[in-house]
Amino acid sequence: MKEHQGLIHKVCILYETDREVRNDLFQEIVLQLWKSFLTFRGDSKITTWMYRIALNTAISGLRKLGRKIKTEELDEYHFNISESLEDHREDDLQKLQWAIRQLTEIERAMIMMALDEVPYDEIAETIGITQNNVRVRMNRIREKLRKLMS
Amino acid sequence: MELDDLKSIWKQDKPGFQPKQEEEIASMIKGRSNSIISKLKRSVWFELIFTIVCGVVLGVYALSLESGALMWTIVSLIVLFVSYLFYYVKKIILLNKFDSSSENLKNSLQHLFDRLAAYLNFYKKSYAILYPVYFCLGLLFGALESGIDDFFHRLSQPKIILYLVGLAGIFFFCTIWLTNWYLKKLYGNHLYKLKELLNELKG
Repeated sequence: MKEHQGLIHKVCILYETDREVRNDLFQEIVLQLWKSFLTFRGDSKITTWMYRIALNTAISGLRKLGRKIKTEELDEYHFNISESLEDHREDDLQKLQWAIRQLTEIERAMIMMALDEVPYDEIAETIGITQNNVRVRMNRIREKLRKLMS
Repeated sequence: MELDDLKSIWKQDKPGFQPKQEEEIASMIKGRSNSIISKLKRSVWFELIFTIVCGVVLGVYALSLESGALMWTIVSLIVLFVSYLFYYVKKIILLNKFDSSSENLKNSLQHLFDRLAAYLNFYKKSYAILYPVYFCLGLLFGALESGIDDFFHRLSQPKIILYLVGLAGIFFFCTIWLTNWYLKKLYGNHLYKLKELLNELKG
């Protein structure tokens, strides 16, 4: 768990903007992983199994409905643009994270796995849809992200 | 912008988080879960214990009474409580069997939706249907105690009819309001959210 905690952090960052609630979500995911560890059969990669539990926990959790984009969040993103190459890279990442947060919760789960090189058949298995459906949805998500980031 | 461009941004070396230490993770494992299933389990356990305590208290009180309307009302309530106990035990067994780790997101959401909907339905039915039944039971035993003739004589008086209708209305309104308030406080609009997520996955 310690080795792959980056995965949990990514899920938390994309599903919660409030730091305190994000910590609660992190704890909830850790708890669910711990509880489910005995049932891990090893027939899929550990990261795929972790994704399944982390996303199940984040998406089905008791959180507020239809959170709107907070203006502070937008301001923070728009006014913190810096000049150095290092900062530009960081800005790009922040911009991408912001854009992903504007997607629906299911779309966020799919793009996150795709960006982490999870193959489409594993994404389909984790979400519970067909591979064709994954392809179609990924095209739509990419288009949405392109518009959001332009 | 292609997926590969997004991947290269996503895989930047710098982690945007503070890694948690082993001790911190270990302490998290000892914490209390706030998942829907855990919350449902806690609610059902609370209701099970509450029902047992109420049943015992009412039973002890009924034993101190002489045979009469109140005693028979209490006995019928205890019978109802026993049937509730079976439901709660069955519900706890079902919730303990729930394991989202072996299911994909769609199935897991569907099962969560089914369980939460069944629980909320049970709750609403219990309060919206069974409480008026309790009310009528009280009236019935009251009628038996004071004598059927006397009861019907009183019931023919408009003032008494108005009083009973008013009392039933207040009783019904309060129980419905209290049930809805309690369920909203516990689960908010979560059923609606689950339904929306499922619609998106099925669409």
